[in-house]
Amino acid sequence: MSDVPTNPSPAEQAASEPAPDSPLYIYAITGSDHPLRLDGLRTVGGIGGSLSAVVRGGLAAVVSPAPPELRPKRRDLTAHQELQERLMADGAVLPMRFGMLAPDSATVGRALEEKSEEYTRRLAELHGTTEFNLKAARAQDDLLREVLSESEEARRLNQLTRDGNGTHEDRVALGELLARQVDARQRLMAEQVVQQLSSLARARVEGAPAKDDFLNVSFLVARAQAHEFTEAGQRLARDFGEGYDFRLRGPLPPYSFAA
Amino acid sequence: MTQASGTQPVAASSSSGSGTAGLYDILELILDRGLVIDVFIRVSIVGIELIKIDIRIVIASVDTYLRFAEACNRLDLEAGRKAPARLTDIVGDMVESGARGTTGGAISGAVDGAVDAIGDLFGGDDEEEKKR
Repeated sequence: MSDVPTNPSPAEQAASEPAPDSPLYIYAITGSDHPLRLDGLRTVGGIGGSLSAVVRGGLAAVVSPAPPELRPKRRDLTAHQELQERLMADGAVLPMRFGMLAPDSATVGRALEEKSEEYTRRLAELHGTTEFNLKAARAQDDLLREVLSESEEARRLNQLTRDGNGTHEDRVALGELLARQVDARQRLMAEQVVQQLSSLARARVEGAPAKDDFLNVSFLVARAQAHEFTEAGQRLARDFGEGYDFRLRGPLPPYSFAA
Repeated sequence: MTQASGTQPVAASSSSGSGTAGLYDILELILDRGLVIDVFIRVSIVGIELIKIDIRIVIASVDTYLRFAEACNRLDLEAGRKAPARLTDIVGDMVESGARGTTGGAISGAVDGAVDAIGDLFGGDDEEEKKR
């Protein structure tokens, strides 16, 4: 390569360049001063092939030979994830979405060069931060009981339609009222949770909650505050109490804040 | 520019093993977020659609209404919270922070179902490994 600097960067010392014209799987972008401790990690696509880095200027892309067939199998998703965890232990990282392929290393190099400023800025912004993802659900029966206890109309319709009685219209009316109430209550709970954790976060991204969840939100949190954030999450789960299910995951690679 | 530490300080368990449930909770981050570079190809991945099916259904449909009504009719109003409190048994994941409460049966069941579905999706790992 003509543009190799005279003093090899840590990334270059740590990882060899990939073969020039074979297709590559791309894991992540880091600064070229990242130590890239890649030993012992599995690759996506499994056995054989090794991890290496394409280094251009101040950036490095971690790659491995592209697997012939790519499916989101647990083993491969785990390999992708574990590599990010290893990288984030030593410095800032832009994790790629699972499944990114490039035809050859020159394409990867060009991609780094073309958006060098942008990636460098993102890495600087994410330096010293980590992602936490929080999903939350509430037992549906509890929600329905709450609606019944607070809505006379819901009680009336429920009475009317129990044991197969009442008309189709009554049942639809009851269901519609419940659906609206449940939705409104879920939104309110989501707002309360997000509000309580936001002061400890630098940024947040809300995603679509999966079935039965009322919340799916990712927070960008300073590493130094990660412990505090986890404690706040645990406290919040305790305060909401029985009948709620909070799943807090982190520290995670900043998937939601890399783009 | 080294960062202070790895994943150790906060995670309840930072071992590299990943339970299906732990991975399931961050699946959508790995598959749907993260950096995308235009000039790269993103392989069309079999199974991603399966995961997206799990996104909460739009609430406004007669079917949904009827399901809500039925669930409400079934409630034992006298009993209140009858379901025994139980700690959900998903532990030991690579990035779990342990902020788990308890749930009643309805939602746990649904989540278990989803995990099963994902399990099916992931299925075949072992067999294929043997074949190689």
